[in-house]
Amino acid sequence: MLPEWMKEVDVGPCRFSAVYHGKKGFVGKTIDGIFGFLQEAFVSETYAKRPGFLQGLDPRAKMISILCLVFATSVITNLNLLIFTYALTLMLAYLSKINIAFFIKRVWLFIPIFAGIIAVPAIFNIISPGDLLIQVAYLGKEAHLGPFSLPESIYITKQGLNVAIVFTMRVAACVSAVVLLFITTPQQVLFKSLHSVGVPKIYVLTLEMAYRYVFLLMDLVREMYVAKKARTIKSRSMFEEQKWVGGRMGYTLIRSLDMSEKVHMAMMSRGYNGDVKIMKQFKMHNRDYAAVAAAASLSTLLVLISHNIIQV
Amino acid sequence: MIPIWYYAGKKMSNELRSRQVPLLALAAAFSFVIMMFNVPIPGGSTGHAVGGAIIGIVLGPWAGVIAISVALILQALVFGDGGITAIAANCFNMGVVMPFVGYYVYKAISGNSEITSSRRVIAAAIAGYLSLTIAAFCTGVEFGLQPILNHTADGVPLYMPYPMSVTVPAMLGEHVLGFSFLEALITALIFAYIQRTDTTILYGENSPLQKKKQKLGASA
Repeated sequence: MLPEWMKEVDVGPCRFSAVYHGKKGFVGKTIDGIFGFLQEAFVSETYAKRPGFLQGLDPRAKMISILCLVFATSVITNLNLLIFTYALTLMLAYLSKINIAFFIKRVWLFIPIFAGIIAVPAIFNIISPGDLLIQVAYLGKEAHLGPFSLPESIYITKQGLNVAIVFTMRVAACVSAVVLLFITTPQQVLFKSLHSVGVPKIYVLTLEMAYRYVFLLMDLVREMYVAKKARTIKSRSMFEEQKWVGGRMGYTLIRSLDMSEKVHMAMMSRGYNGDVKIMKQFKMHNRDYAAVAAAASLSTLLVLISHNIIQV
Repeated sequence: MIPIWYYAGKKMSNELRSRQVPLLALAAAFSFVIMMFNVPIPGGSTGHAVGGAIIGIVLGPWAGVIAISVALILQALVFGDGGITAIAANCFNMGVVMPFVGYYVYKAISGNSEITSSRRVIAAAIAGYLSLTIAAFCTGVEFGLQPILNHTADGVPLYMPYPMSVTVPAMLGEHVLGFSFLEALITALIFAYIQRTDTTILYGENSPLQKKKQKLGASA
């Protein structure tokens, strides 16, 4: 008899982490990065297995629908429509039994890194001239920054703020839709469905194999860094450490090419002759056709409204 | 991007035949993993290399195109941080510009020197430096093209708010002075390691050892 607590299924994603004392340094950061990667992959795998709305769709239908939505989002310029699209992805996430807080965090994790760098300077009058909203600094007449002459005062403009918000919302809506696609689809199925949008079989197979071996190589790298950490008493000069990293990269490269030879021989001995065959077990149902039709018409509608062809 | 991929794919299937899938898959996995290696840099911080040049030098530029593209597509699909709509531009900058610039700069500088000579290490370093710098320049140009191509009737840019006069110096500046040096250092260090251990993996070398290996490969 199993005790009750052992039968409980943990529905939430579990956390991977490594414990550190003090400053992390490059070894700690690498190990952390690898754990982060494994966690990411593992968590999406657990969501992909849940019985939700998007998980139930045919992967090809899902991929085409999401791609339609992404392309529509990337040409929309109207802020309200972008907010609508983002809300739609949140609703789909809810219907697919994805933890909304996790989903929002997952999407907004990457956005500040690049969208922030691009969007933030754009709100000032230096880049986007326009109506004054909030004054930031008064520099006086003929202010200079090196060889560049600056305007009399720096302020946030209405137009600039609008550009920045539209830009960030567009990135958020696009990333949100794509994240939705891959966390509701198991990776192997996702790659196979790429074949249906025109990717040649040989690349589908290459992608699948690459994904599998990424984990193996990640583990190799993790072991090297953990071994180094375990043997380190005192860190050496920076150049010595850099040389170590360069050497490990070279070693990983040699190992991966060597492994490719062995994998090739193993494939040959099992009858591989360069001709790729992919098993297809997908079946389109009525709901899949309905989903594609709905997504395509919604995307067209969004584009038309955004370009003022249809007045609302 | 599609014609480049198509040509690269044709070339690969002629050169490698049945070895194509495993070799490119492992090379792509390596291109993916290389970004995980943190390198200590002055100031107590860390950085990582892109690795386009060393992949071009080792695998040859065409295999590099496919390996890096597959790695970038994996990143965009599995992690959603590369962006699906920008994938072609991304693959061009990192997947085409880097291995090609890297490989040809390396070839041009190393010339006919001995495979273990230090001249080749320097060639690899310069290849790493130039490949990342030129890739950054291309990215800057692509960003700068956006407001010219896509803007509303009254001139408000739709996607990128910055003109080329801002994007190109911004992309070039940080790379010329910073990231490219790291790329150069890492490329040289990896190359030096390969020189010490196994030079037969380098693309397009005709050392006696490599010929022997190719013979073995052909008969296998």
